[in-house]
Amino acid sequence: MTTLGPTGFLALSSALLGIGLFGILTRRNFVLLLISIEIATNAAILNFVYFAAFAPSAPLGISGQSIAVVLVGFAATEVAVGLAIVLALNRAKGTINVAEVTELKS
Amino acid sequence: MSLPEIAFALLAAVAVVTAIAALLVRELVHTILWVAVFFVDLAAIYFLLEAPFLGVLQLGVYAGAVTILLLFGVMVTRKRIFSREAATGIGPVAVALALLTVVFVGTGLGELPQGEVTIRAYDPSTLSVNLFGPNGAWLLLLGLIMLAAVSGAIFLVREGRE
Repeated sequence: MTTLGPTGFLALSSALLGIGLFGILTRRNFVLLLISIEIATNAAILNFVYFAAFAPSAPLGISGQSIAVVLVGFAATEVAVGLAIVLALNRAKGTINVAEVTELKS
Repeated sequence: MSLPEIAFALLAAVAVVTAIAALLVRELVHTILWVAVFFVDLAAIYFLLEAPFLGVLQLGVYAGAVTILLLFGVMVTRKRIFSREAATGIGPVAVALALLTVVFVGTGLGELPQGEVTIRAYDPSTLSVNLFGPNGAWLLLLGLIMLAAVSGAIFLVREGRE
C-alpha cells in the first residue's frame, strides 16, 4: 500500500507549470514554444492523476484518470496541429521564429 | 522516509531538472532529448501513483509519438540541425511570472489535508468502464477534435498553396 502526501505533488506540478510559463514567455522558436506548452500541460495532467488517487470515492477517483486520458489525447492533437503550423510557416516564410511572423499586425 | 517517498523525491527532482534543462540548452535537438527524458520520468511517476494505464499511455503518446513528431518537425525545418536559438529579452518578467505561479499554488497548499494519503490502485478495466460510460462524452469530443485537427493539419501542409 503506497502512501504519499499532496505537498510534493502540488509543488512539482506548480514548478512544472512555472517552467512551462517561463518557456512560453521567453522562447521565440515555435518548436520550443510547443515543448513549453507540453510541459505546462503535463503539470495539469499530473494533478489529475494524483487527485484521482487522492479522491475519497472510487467513481470520483477513476473519473480523474479518465479525464487525464482525454487530456493526453488533446495534448497530442495540439502538437500535431502545431507541427503542421510549423511546416506551413517554414514553407511560407523560411523561418519558425514567432517574432518574425507579423502578418496580422496592423 | 518510506520507499515511495524517496522514489517520488528522486523522480520529482529529475522532472524539474530535465524540464529546466530542456528550455535552457542551446541546441534544439538536445532540447527534444531532454524533454523525452522528462516524459519518461512522468510516466514513472504515474506508475508510482498506481495508474499503470496512464503510465503506458504517457510512454506511448508522449515519449513515443510526440518526441518523434518534434524531432521530425526540427528535421524538416532546419538546414543545420545543431543550430543555436535566440531567446527574447523579457526573461526577468517571465521568471517573475513563473515564481508568482509557484507562490500562488503554494498558498493553496495549506487548505488540503496534510500527511499520509493512501494511493488507491484501480484496475484498468474499471478505468475503461468509466471512460466509455460516464465520461463517454469527453471521448466523443476528443474524437471530433482529433478529426478537425487532422483535417486542419492536412489543409495547412497540403501541396499547391501559394
